[in-house]
Amino acid sequence: MTKEPNDVTITRRISMTVNGERHEADVEPRTTLVDFLRGTLGLTGTHVGCEHGVCGACTVLWNGKAVRSCIMLAVQADGAELKTVEGLADGATLHPIQQAFLEKHGLQCGFCTPGFMLSIYELLGRTSAPTEEEILDTLGGHLCRCTGYQSIVEAAHLAVEKMRTR
Amino acid sequence: MKPPVFDYATPASLAEATDLLVRHAGDAKVLSGGQSLVPLLNMRLARPALLVDLARIADLDGVRADADGVAIGAMTRQRTVELSSEVRARHPLLHAGLQLIAHPQNRNQGTVGGSLAHADPAAELPALALALDATFDAVGPGGTRRIAAADFFLTYLTTALEAAEILTAVRFPMLPARTGWSIQEVARRHGDFALAGVVAIVGLAPAGAIASARLVLFGVGATPIRAAAAEALLVGGPADAASFGRAGARAAGDLEEPLTDVHASADYRRDLARVLVGRALAEAATRARGA
Amino acid sequence: MTAPEKRLPGSVAELPNSAPRYVGRPIDRVEDPALLTGRTQFIDDVVLPRMLHCAILRSPHAHARIASIDTREAEKLPGVVAVVTGEDAKRWSNPVMTVPPGWGTHCLATEKARFVGEPVAAVAAASRYVAEDALELIAVEYEPLPAVADARKALELGSPLVFEENGDNVMLRKLFTWGDIDGAFAGAVHVVQREFRWNRLGANPLETFGVVSQWDELAGTLTCRGSFQAQHHFAMARAMVFNLPLNRVRFISHPHGGSFGGKGGARGTDITALLSRKAGGRPVKWIEDRMEYLAGGASQAWDRHYDAALALDAGGKVLGFRVRLLDDLGATAEGWGAVSAAKPLTSFTGCYAIAAAQYDLTIVATNKLPGSPYRGMGPPPHNWVLEQLMDLAARELALDPAEIRRRNFIAPDAFPYTIASGNEYDSGDYAAALDAALAMGDYPALRAEQARLRAEGRYLGIGLVNTIEPGVFDWNAYAIVGQPGTGVPEGATVGIDLFGKLTIKVGFALEGQGQYTVAAQVLADWFTVDIADVRVIALDTLSAPPHFGPGGSRLGVALTGAVLGAAQRLTEKLVAVAAGLFRTPPEHVELRDGRIGVKGRPEASMPFQEVAQTMLARSDLLPPGVDPNPEATYVWTAPGRTPADDQGRAKSYLTAANACHLVLVEIDVETAQVHIKKYWIADDCGTRLNPANVEGQTQGGVAQGVGAALLEEAVYDEDGQLRTSTFMDYLLPTIYEVPMTEKRALCTPSPFTPLGAKGCGEGAMHTTPGAILCAINDALVPLGLELREVPASPQRLWTLLRQAKR
Repeated sequence: MTKEPNDVTITRRISMTVNGERHEADVEPRTTLVDFLRGTLGLTGTHVGCEHGVCGACTVLWNGKAVRSCIMLAVQADGAELKTVEGLADGATLHPIQQAFLEKHGLQCGFCTPGFMLSIYELLGRTSAPTEEEILDTLGGHLCRCTGYQSIVEAAHLAVEKMRTR
Repeated sequence: MKPPVFDYATPASLAEATDLLVRHAGDAKVLSGGQSLVPLLNMRLARPALLVDLARIADLDGVRADADGVAIGAMTRQRTVELSSEVRARHPLLHAGLQLIAHPQNRNQGTVGGSLAHADPAAELPALALALDATFDAVGPGGTRRIAAADFFLTYLTTALEAAEILTAVRFPMLPARTGWSIQEVARRHGDFALAGVVAIVGLAPAGAIASARLVLFGVGATPIRAAAAEALLVGGPADAASFGRAGARAAGDLEEPLTDVHASADYRRDLARVLVGRALAEAATRARGA
Repeated sequence: MTAPEKRLPGSVAELPNSAPRYVGRPIDRVEDPALLTGRTQFIDDVVLPRMLHCAILRSPHAHARIASIDTREAEKLPGVVAVVTGEDAKRWSNPVMTVPPGWGTHCLATEKARFVGEPVAAVAAASRYVAEDALELIAVEYEPLPAVADARKALELGSPLVFEENGDNVMLRKLFTWGDIDGAFAGAVHVVQREFRWNRLGANPLETFGVVSQWDELAGTLTCRGSFQAQHHFAMARAMVFNLPLNRVRFISHPHGGSFGGKGGARGTDITALLSRKAGGRPVKWIEDRMEYLAGGASQAWDRHYDAALALDAGGKVLGFRVRLLDDLGATAEGWGAVSAAKPLTSFTGCYAIAAAQYDLTIVATNKLPGSPYRGMGPPPHNWVLEQLMDLAARELALDPAEIRRRNFIAPDAFPYTIASGNEYDSGDYAAALDAALAMGDYPALRAEQARLRAEGRYLGIGLVNTIEPGVFDWNAYAIVGQPGTGVPEGATVGIDLFGKLTIKVGFALEGQGQYTVAAQVLADWFTVDIADVRVIALDTLSAPPHFGPGGSRLGVALTGAVLGAAQRLTEKLVAVAAGLFRTPPEHVELRDGRIGVKGRPEASMPFQEVAQTMLARSDLLPPGVDPNPEATYVWTAPGRTPADDQGRAKSYLTAANACHLVLVEIDVETAQVHIKKYWIADDCGTRLNPANVEGQTQGGVAQGVGAALLEEAVYDEDGQLRTSTFMDYLLPTIYEVPMTEKRALCTPSPFTPLGAKGCGEGAMHTTPGAILCAINDALVPLGLELREVPASPQRLWTLLRQAKR
């Protein structure tokens, strides 16, 4: 990021582990977590859709829990363990959730998809046999404007299968 | 949509936190989960000079259920309480109410104390607190005090907490024996703020008449609203559709002008309250019969 | 110079491949691995050296004279590099061209602001945070003017004028008459007439618009990277705005997070260009935020007042269809929204053989956000009006809704069929789709269930709607609102590299429809290679062959034509070389199953890759006079298109897909909520190039249709203030509101398109709103109520239900 003089800047030193890698940086307290991840760390796979906590495109895992990173400040994540979409695949092998989305055409433009996948990741970390209600509850916090959700539900079910037989 | 400049503090103790609030009187805002505050910051509708983040203060996070009730630290994430198997088993109303709050991604970050202190009149937790006679523990420069739910919610987004006072814990009493419960709401979409909602708790006498009733409406006024006159109408009467309908009409009729916004007029909200009171009472009575 | 072009294959069987592996199969998408791992570069992911960030100050008034703007304090803020206002726009740019003409402005308000959210000034700074800080330091003195936010009031004498110089607020008024409409109504036994109101809604892709512009004063060039749905179209408009030759304007489209016609971004692009110029050529990025999109972006379409009527004979045969439309386009015509009032001509009378029709069209300006395109481009409201009238007519004639439709269908043997409003439908079997939907849903059982539950006090409604989806748009369809041109070129370049792999170069970026996969499928089957051997690459406006990109349900068909045409030309080059190598006349040489060889002599053949390698690396073996470039370009445009006559009649959209939706809803009459219980779709879009893509388009359209029918509405108060400025108030459907649908595919191939495919990107959006609304009205029949305003919000329904109780 370009640094230009700005005499009102107040910064805080923060550190966090993202996808297993430790980062330290000075940030303005007003920097949202998503702007920090994208702008400072260059992890642009997390997307910004509404900046007021409705659409879910910016969802990341914060200490294992899916949260909306547009309505969390970077300073609030000081010391936290984060996971973003860049941390899902194992090298050239897609994570089972990613593979399920691919096989079920669970995405079209793909802008909302990282958020969906991270919420499913949290769910499947908690239970290997989620109920239909739990899947709905998980996906209900995300907006997708392309797919009409049907293929996303199918992808979620396939991901459950894949995780179980992994 | 980027927040304005503000300073940020992470006090390690409640004393430090209240001290900061006193020193920056009027210019500081408490940050807990941020699910309501950070959107307002992004829109520059909130402009505090200092955010006091409670996240680093020990002992504000935790949920404990015993025979008397569920005690919850103010910084406990809503999702933690929702997923607590103890809460689910021993306080199904609280569990059900938490599931209606926005979406899991919000509940993972949003705190119980934050929602109660924010006091949105369409939110579920304030209504549950009022319905269950919850008590609030607060710490301020003058020490600690306990506030009853009936005294806590003053008006729209305003509570009995003083400017430098911090909510530390809330205690939700258990439902009395032989009572049934219901929480019902109508929202535009699942997870949206309720256009109108009702918490009902009904106790039945062995013969089946209504022994006790508690009705709290939300989304239809400046605070969650206890429908005391409707409750009184119910007690001693039969647990039947006619009683529930009368109670609904009374509860709705007693409302002062509910909010009109882009989604619902005052009249529609009032009518929803009437319908939902009837439905909630019916469901609560059914549960009470099985209790 | 060259022989006439060979006809492109009209079916999969005509491909030079005995066993095609890809076309027609739901294969995995080639675009997905990058999307799934977060590696696709969307525009907000782009960082350029010395890049600045733009924030835009917007008018809080619906209508106000701008008395003064003081930017001095903003310019002093550390980190701020440039500030622009309407004065800069006037100095360095022209007002934007519009359709209809004469209703456009500069990118920044000059003398007055005409809608809430109109850009008034903009800042380029070191970060978006600082740029937004600077906006707060700009002092604008407004003199508020009376505003008009209601289309009917805008027509009244003495109404505030959005453009004083135009004399009134009427952007366009025209009466189109096709056939003997007066005779049809005079001779009718039944006339069903109603008014309908469709409120504003819009695209709302999950990614808003974004752009990075760079102005090079010395070279006289403008380079813009962004999420442009139609990059060449954008570049042309910018060339006109900035008085630049088109070859000095370079647009580089990035993959974008959906568009649906409503990506917009013209003003933001122009503003960042001005800022870059003022900032000495530093690149300036603007990422529209969601509130900007809702108040000032391409987020609103179709603000309509209808008065429509059907004339029928005693047997339920429709004799005439009359539509009067008052279309509220908002403050300007900059957003191409007027095109949406023209497109209904392409399928005015739906699936029905109706000899006479009339369209009385008035487009007005108001102090609201300029209207934009949105998926479907106008027919979704029109289709609801027609289909709702069909239901009302059925009730009047005591016919079943299925039966009245059946009696009016264009017969399967009548194609190609020219409808009253002039377009030609290529093929179809509408009764087959109707029957399929009825069978899937077990329609008689649904009606029985409805009657049974009615007796229990429950209100179920059944919606049965069939529509045409005009596919492969043509400019001539929009002639009536002032759009010039016939034909929409789409080009592709296909090449073989030295290692024998294939590349397809196109002029559009990823948008979500899976078009790169379709291109790769087609080419892989043409040359009989693994799809992994094909790569699809997007080129910018100056390097790509002529192109338009996605829009108007066209790209699947157009791209297939372009790829097949290029592959065919490339094959002819390979054949010429191979003919020399085999010492045989070219007419005896062919491509078959990936080998080029002499017809009827399998031993005299070689892999096509070797021919290409010979062209690139063995000039010593090449026959004299052959083109040694194993690459070919083809620009496809729909055949047989005709310019519009004075009544707007033209052969416009090339294909006519057809769908029948059957839906069951229940209304909770106490809370006024609508629940969609079941949903069935029978859909005929000809050959399905990738059935999974088609299914995704259909289901996605269903979701947007649910939003249109039940949730989405841009609400303005009478002063022109927007009351739905966030996603808390503008409600997109979630997984809870969208039904999971049961679908059945039918196939009546198009006789006019490559491989027989039809446009299929908008069909569900054409159909779903009408299906749900017809179902709601079906449920309301016992109460004697009709809901004729969209969306069917609980407030609106509750107000209506109260009338029944009185």
